[in-house]
Amino acid sequence: MGYDSMANVGSVPSMVSGKKRRGNRSAKLKQCKLDARREQWLSQVNGGKDDCKVTRLATSLHLLHPLRAPTGKIDSKTKAGEDERDDMPLHERNGLDSPTHNPVMGNHHKRNNSPSNSVSSRSSSVNSTSRSFTDGEREEHPEGGGEGNGVLDDWEAVADALSEDVGRDDRHHCHHPDPVVTYIVPAASSGILGEAPLGGSTMKLKPVRSTKRAWRPDDTSRPQSLPSISKKCIFPWNAERDHLVSRQSSILSLPSRCPICYEDLDLTDSSFLPCSCGFRLCLFCHKKILEADGRCPGCRKHYDYMSSGGVEYGRNTTSIIPVVPFV
Amino acid sequence: MQASRARLFKEYKEVQREKAVDPDIQLVCDDSNIYKWTALIKGPSETPYEGGVFQLAFSIPEQYPLLPPQVRFLTKIFHPNVHFKTGEICLDILKNAWSPAWTLQSVCRAIIALMAHPEPDSPLNCDSGNLLRSGDVRGYRSMARMYTRLAAMPKKG
Repeated sequence: MGYDSMANVGSVPSMVSGKKRRGNRSAKLKQCKLDARREQWLSQVNGGKDDCKVTRLATSLHLLHPLRAPTGKIDSKTKAGEDERDDMPLHERNGLDSPTHNPVMGNHHKRNNSPSNSVSSRSSSVNSTSRSFTDGEREEHPEGGGEGNGVLDDWEAVADALSEDVGRDDRHHCHHPDPVVTYIVPAASSGILGEAPLGGSTMKLKPVRSTKRAWRPDDTSRPQSLPSISKKCIFPWNAERDHLVSRQSSILSLPSRCPICYEDLDLTDSSFLPCSCGFRLCLFCHKKILEADGRCPGCRKHYDYMSSGGVEYGRNTTSIIPVVPFV
Repeated sequence: MQASRARLFKEYKEVQREKAVDPDIQLVCDDSNIYKWTALIKGPSETPYEGGVFQLAFSIPEQYPLLPPQVRFLTKIFHPNVHFKTGEICLDILKNAWSPAWTLQSVCRAIIALMAHPEPDSPLNCDSGNLLRSGDVRGYRSMARMYTRLAAMPKKG
């Protein structure tokens, strides 16, 4: 759990710009994530709750920490925050970008910064940050208790589990470089227990605290997983929304049902543009029409003239790309 | 075959849903055979058919909508493009200009449009066509009006 505080410490300077922008919304979202996280832990730990938890945390700490450098967190965090804040169209655009850019950036930060940053942050965490971390801890568990957060939880839990696995894999590579972490964990935890939750709040300025809250959920895995999580939840969602939007935008030219058989157009059908006149229909009907008189129902021109020129398939692929960007 | 049935069911639902949308058209499916429909259409205003209600019989092929439905007037009508005895309709969209994108509803609309805009150059009813082609619009209108009153309007009690 010490990583939480470390993350905060490391992030504080650069976070200043980002934290203001982060709204209640992101805080809520993170709260949900936190809960999900806790659930995940509970399920993993199952048996001996407290002891296991500590060890678990310790391991995860030193495993995860090197990977998630504060800067990396900040970047991804702010990015994610922006994502959340943006309105729909922007959001989607970001969605398009983030899958490609975010992971890359995260990796860079990880590799570049992890040795130095993680160490410094850790040392600081021992001294001052432990309280803030304590705060997070304290709040986290009571809150996490029995809350069911609905769908989001599931998403988050899955995402977290995935990221956790990733973290574990990474740990094998990065474990050796910093053994320090292992020591820190107990220290941090003891500090946590000793210090009152108030200490953290008093010491830190309001904004910082709010930042902490926002970040708390996460812990070490948060920073890295945050972008990935937002990816995970945003993506399918985004893709769907993209799809919807494309439908809406092209609703004039793209009916939701095949005008021939009146069945709903699926994704393939709706990206199928067999005729230059823009008349859309499902593949089944298209085939049937080809077998019959082979004329476009929209303009009554023969399909052969257009499709033989490759227009059909060229169109098809180009239209598929925007509609199904991530599939 | 199955496709035509499915499509006709969908059209039936559509018709039920949009009944109020087009007050000039009433499409009814045969109780026992979804390939047989009848339609009641109101004669368009400012034509000799105004005030009349004309009954159409749809006979739908199993290849529908790849093939057009066969439509004929059950109500006697004096119109250049409608066969006076059989009620057969000479309308391009019911023949070579058919498109699967058309529906029974849109066919009805097309027929209403045809009633308002006769094409005397391709007549099925030569008498009517000849009247119009010779410029005797008044003769055509009065004949059409008479048959509308006789056949398409409720008898005055």
